[in-house]
Amino acid sequence: MAFDCVIVGAGPAGMSAAVTLAEHGVRSLVLDRGAKAGGQIYRYAASSPLPDPSKLGPDYMSGAALINAFEACGADHVAGADVWHVGDDGRILYSIDGETRQIETREVLVCPGAIERPMPIPGWTLPGVMTAGAAQVMLKTDAIVAENAVFAGSGPLLYLVVAQYLRLGVKVAGLVDTTPRRNFLQAASAAPAALRSASLLHKGISLLSEIRRAGIPVYRQSVQLKLLGQTRVSGLSFYSNGLQQIEADTVFLHHGVIPNPNMTRALGLDHVWNEDQLAWHVKTDLYGQSSIPYIAVAGDGGAIVGGDGAHIEGRLAALNILMRLERISPETRDRLSRSPVGELRRLSQFRRFIDRLYRPSDALRLPQDEDTPVCRCEDQSVADLRAGFQLGARDPNALKSRTRCGMGPCQGRQCGPIVSDLLANWRGEHVSDVGYYRMRSPQRLLSLEELSRFKTVSSLQPRAREASR
Amino acid sequence: MFRSLRENVPETVQVSVNGHPVQVPARQTVWSALALSGQTVTRKSALSGEDRSAYCTMGVCFECLVEIDGEPNQQACLREVAPGMVIVSQNITEFTMADRDGL
Amino acid sequence: MKTADVLIIGGGIHGSSTAYHLAREGISVILLEKDYVARHASGVNAGGVRVLGRDLAEVPLSKISMQMWQTLDSELDADTGFRSTSMVYIAANEADITTLKQREARMNAAGHTHERIIDQRELRELLPYVHPSCTGGAVSQQDGHANPYRSTNAFRLAAERFGASIVEGTELRNLRRVGSSWIAQTPKGTFEAGTVVNCAGAWADKVALMIGDNVPLNHAAPMLMITARMPHFVEPVVGAVSRQLSFKQFENGTVLIGGGAKGFAERAANKTRLDYEKLANAARTTIDFFPIMTRAAINRMWAGLEAYMPDNLPVVSPSANAENAFHAFGFSAHGFQLGPIIGKVTADMILTGQPGFDLSAFRVDRYDRKVL
Repeated sequence: MAFDCVIVGAGPAGMSAAVTLAEHGVRSLVLDRGAKAGGQIYRYAASSPLPDPSKLGPDYMSGAALINAFEACGADHVAGADVWHVGDDGRILYSIDGETRQIETREVLVCPGAIERPMPIPGWTLPGVMTAGAAQVMLKTDAIVAENAVFAGSGPLLYLVVAQYLRLGVKVAGLVDTTPRRNFLQAASAAPAALRSASLLHKGISLLSEIRRAGIPVYRQSVQLKLLGQTRVSGLSFYSNGLQQIEADTVFLHHGVIPNPNMTRALGLDHVWNEDQLAWHVKTDLYGQSSIPYIAVAGDGGAIVGGDGAHIEGRLAALNILMRLERISPETRDRLSRSPVGELRRLSQFRRFIDRLYRPSDALRLPQDEDTPVCRCEDQSVADLRAGFQLGARDPNALKSRTRCGMGPCQGRQCGPIVSDLLANWRGEHVSDVGYYRMRSPQRLLSLEELSRFKTVSSLQPRAREASR
Repeated sequence: MFRSLRENVPETVQVSVNGHPVQVPARQTVWSALALSGQTVTRKSALSGEDRSAYCTMGVCFECLVEIDGEPNQQACLREVAPGMVIVSQNITEFTMADRDGL
Repeated sequence: MKTADVLIIGGGIHGSSTAYHLAREGISVILLEKDYVARHASGVNAGGVRVLGRDLAEVPLSKISMQMWQTLDSELDADTGFRSTSMVYIAANEADITTLKQREARMNAAGHTHERIIDQRELRELLPYVHPSCTGGAVSQQDGHANPYRSTNAFRLAAERFGASIVEGTELRNLRRVGSSWIAQTPKGTFEAGTVVNCAGAWADKVALMIGDNVPLNHAAPMLMITARMPHFVEPVVGAVSRQLSFKQFENGTVLIGGGAKGFAERAANKTRLDYEKLANAARTTIDFFPIMTRAAINRMWAGLEAYMPDNLPVVSPSANAENAFHAFGFSAHGFQLGPIIGKVTADMILTGQPGFDLSAFRVDRYDRKVL
């Protein structure tokens, strides 16, 4: 027996899809690597280890409601199920308890979420250099913070973490803002449309004024960032009204997020380059249906839409899947979609404004020094890649074969976007003509023993099934 | 310096980090145990031999690979601690030889 | 219109090697590759460089090719990654030993002594981590491994230094004979040459058809997986007499596991799909023979598109039906080691008509049969 619908990822998109499917009597199977549902944004929102999680803000707290609705909806949620392959034949492989399970399903909804855009500045491989996302994860999961850290980069997540730290009484050594001045002009043209989302705009502005009021050093329009230290990070140097230097044993970097590409790439879904977000998007219709009709993508894993957007996209994807499973008519799907589609459109206008305002500079997206590492796993620098290019490896995959760049355990998640951009520059072509790595499963390291313990599962444990009868 | 904001920890477990006993809250991640114990080097880079540490803590970057209970290549940020767990920084470079002892 | 003496179709190792051997003799060469050099089987194979276990018909070519590998880096001024590590076939039991002895007798009768049978003690010396129940095996001393992508490109770059023109991203749409010329049409223009060579790998039957030869070529997707680095524990390339076991540990510590299990080849889409259940079996076999591999971490899995002939022997032959056309394809997943010699032999066929080897087993028309 095959499953009707399997959802990969229990973030906002996956949870809201499961809830919508359940509302119409389809019990989905939700596979998620985490110990608890929530994804990255609502990680532990319903079970925070913090004494007062409300200090993380109302957006985070709102996640608890979705998590509770998801847990009550009757979907089969398998926590700790690490999906490492989704096939274009609808087969899904995952690891759990040291074994491999294979399942078949009519419909798949893939919600792989976002990853942070790599920021390859000199020294970015030093211990103590982390991402702003890491600061959030540590805070949400285990209530761990880094005292006297520097935050560098730009974008809403960066400011949010700084504000959260300050509310929690954690000392911050400085905010090194890299948002270029010209972005404000570029964003201005998108502002009128964004104003329709005045509350979102207000939220952003109040975060920044909160940081200003706290009196920590804030450096604007910072450029030429360099991490200091030999064996671990000791600080950050940069230019902002002249040369600046801050000492710190932890530096958090961030300049935006991009879709986590590995699963959708390995699936062979069509992708398109998006110039606004400087990232590859999965090509989908309004309902997240991909170039393979029985595979849908929702949330940031398809295109960056944020937590609210992911919530809506999950609902839309579920409505379409319900239609494909012939549980609702096309007319019903369209009728139920009308309001979420409108809401998504409004959010996307605000998103366009954010994308322009926090568009990362080329100087931070692309390493400026020949000896800056590009591939963290295989220690390949710009110079190494250039040498491979000069030996005829003009394609990202050829360069990977030549230099081992992208062959390490992270499977190109860090170097992939950089390599395509570097090749575009060297070839004098647009990145959309250069393309991206050809990805393959597994999406994570897999022990030989884990693979050898291979079981095909046609239904869930009797225990889980019986409970619903 | 990393520190915990937890006010009361109902349950702790003891794990070993590079041979040192460490008392940590139950069910937190292995990376958190490393961070709080101050032993933040997770692995050596295979080519350069440089120290590396956790970077993304969400399973994306694979910088936090450590050896757990004898099993290498474990992502410290995704694994939870368990009582008696033995955690060791991973030191597999291009030149590491397999241990012939015990054969 | 671009013209050359010889037009080669296919930028795999045989096409690149042929381009090199022709160009160094002063012949003008154009090589057309539909993707990029070493994109398919030549660039993504297991990198095994072996004489061990080959069909008798291939052994003379393979032995000369093995000699060429030993000095290939200096000849091509490149780093192919070739390492002569020896290769061992493991006998799991007495039946395997019997199989090896029978083969030894056949090989010795043909005058070949490069395969040597070893006992259990020597097996344990060569492979300290092999399961203690294994009874012996066979070893071939000169065998080893190389980096497929780099090796193929080593020929390509050397050919370019001698003036060959390598045209990537250019798919052959049409090929026909007009007078004394072969005219090739591609999306990037027309190419013309007096002689054409078909090294098109998994697509070679289509090119053969344009030349005028019909061949029963099949294609398949042999699967591979490679581990993250692990401490060095094995020097020789490892195979087994009667089980699907094949792996090697590279100098960087990664272990490449093959074994011949096949995925699904979608030639028209230029891609392959994997059969994970078969890979799980390969994992089990590997652990059975080498318990140290239990905790090895698989990092990547893939399959290339490879061409197979029904008898698992390649086609290395002049065209049966056209003048000035030659074939070198269908290596059936063991052609990488033959790359150096096949380029030489193909060049010799073109230049002198004398390949210097008995190639009768590799004729393109060997499956042509008169039907009663």
